[in-house]
Amino acid sequence: MELRQPPGSGMTGSPRPPVAGAGSAGPLGPAAAPPAWVPLSFLAAAGAGLIGGGFGVWFAADRLAESPTHPGAVSAVHVAVLAFLTVGVLGALHQFAPVVGRRPLRSTRAAGVTVGAMVATAWLLPSGFAHGPDWLVPAAGVLGLATVILAAWNLSGPLSSKVGGLPLWGLRISGGYLVVTVAFGAVYALDREFGWFPLLSHRVLAHAHLGLLGWLGVTYVAVAEKLWPMFLLAHRPRARSGLMAVASLASGTAVAATGLLFAVPVVAWLGALVVGVGLGAHLVSLAGCVRHRRRRLEVLHGYLFASAGFVVVAATLAAVAAWPGLVSTPLRVQLVAAEVAALVGWLGLAVLGHAHKIVPFIAYSALRARGVTSSSTGEPLMFAHLFSVRLAWLGLVLGGAGFAAVVWGLAGGHPDVIAAGGAAVATAGVVVTANLAGGPRRGAGRPPASERHAAPPPSRQVTVGSPGASP
Amino acid sequence: MTEYAAEAEGDVTGRALTALGGVLDPELGLDIVSLGLVYDVRVTGRLVEVDMTLTTPGCPVAEQLPAQAAAVLTAALPHHQVEVRVVWQPPWTPELLSPAALQRLGYRTG
Repeated sequence: MELRQPPGSGMTGSPRPPVAGAGSAGPLGPAAAPPAWVPLSFLAAAGAGLIGGGFGVWFAADRLAESPTHPGAVSAVHVAVLAFLTVGVLGALHQFAPVVGRRPLRSTRAAGVTVGAMVATAWLLPSGFAHGPDWLVPAAGVLGLATVILAAWNLSGPLSSKVGGLPLWGLRISGGYLVVTVAFGAVYALDREFGWFPLLSHRVLAHAHLGLLGWLGVTYVAVAEKLWPMFLLAHRPRARSGLMAVASLASGTAVAATGLLFAVPVVAWLGALVVGVGLGAHLVSLAGCVRHRRRRLEVLHGYLFASAGFVVVAATLAAVAAWPGLVSTPLRVQLVAAEVAALVGWLGLAVLGHAHKIVPFIAYSALRARGVTSSSTGEPLMFAHLFSVRLAWLGLVLGGAGFAAVVWGLAGGHPDVIAAGGAAVATAGVVVTANLAGGPRRGAGRPPASERHAAPPPSRQVTVGSPGASP
Repeated sequence: MTEYAAEAEGDVTGRALTALGGVLDPELGLDIVSLGLVYDVRVTGRLVEVDMTLTTPGCPVAEQLPAQAAAVLTAALPHHQVEVRVVWQPPWTPELLSPAALQRLGYRTG
């Protein structure tokens, strides 16, 4: 066995005195990543949110087809966006930001409070929309605002790290969008009680796009710039498209939301065009990673390609709906509802796909920490042992078909199609959640007796250099 | 003369590399030597220093692979002190993959 040495490294394999400072960043212990229960709690709750969101769409299909702003329809949408997407993405961030920023959360206890409070918000708010009592909506709105402020404070620890590059920059922006989005939501919720201003549809759309594009969209686009090259072993000669994606989506969303909020079509169009550039750059970035990959495509990429299809559909629907005089007002309402659903499909499939990477690696780390080193078949434990690839594909088929049916049903005003789509999405939630939750139990072996209580040998040491440190 | 002092340096390096060859990347299913993640093995008396990297800073297994490397080295070289250092310069690139690793990963060699 021989070393393949990096060009220009000057490494010879011969004895050489260590350079002072190379390990100055200190031990590479599990200090940065939070305990496994933090992200896994969020993600398990998000699985329940997907199931609930699917059933919500099923139950509210008639309302969604007739009037997307009906309280029953708004309730279903909030379950999907809050209980599934926001809870899931927050969970991923509580894992991703500390690992990439190499700096821990400010407080693990605060992360636990965030899980509980966010899940409570995500279910109480839609419950208030659906059947009251009236005070429940503003109460849940205020709880949600307090929760995201807590989350933003907690995440500001790793997000203030000087390492991490574009992904962390994007997350700082998206974190700001999260607070702004929930602040909007809290004001709107209180407005239902106090009647400060009429809650017109363009104002609701401003709120929706702040959340879907600014909070969830920028988060996904930024994180993808780290995860995609890593998962595909893709080293691109240039990655300008990623920078353009994050910058354009972040800036365009603010402009578009302002135009929608104040009903100024020119401003909304301008912002939408910039958003379109950002989303296009995001797709170019995906294509670049695929082109420069060094390994086979796998189930994650099926999710990513299906997800990318939904963002194209969303952009098309938005353009058609907003084009002056092209469609009637009732059809415009349907198309805009379908556009929002397509954005949920874009983000939802992306979350599901990445969950098949994130959950196994967290489970793997937790199992290794317990001394489990082999699979149930006796092979060395791998991520692939911790979930079923067939079930992952089934989740993709169900989720993709479900979101597509919801979009199609909303655009065409077909409640039966919407209901079928909701049922398929809920089933996808069951399949994916069961697959990822049960995978470690099925796939992992038991720790050898010799490793269960083994203490680490005193003579080994692991240190990590800073990104610029050279040996 | 102690047992470890009798070992030739090359033998220790070879044993270290053989041991490191048993550390598998749990995502890719390949060992860290074939992946080109082990940059250097230095033996100075009883001290064995290993410089290794990861495919990218912030790699999900950033906390696992170096710890596993240290564990297998300690097991393989019980009379030596082992130091595993994670370094980021020069950054890892796919060109460091061994031909066999490239073949195992798929079909992209360019």
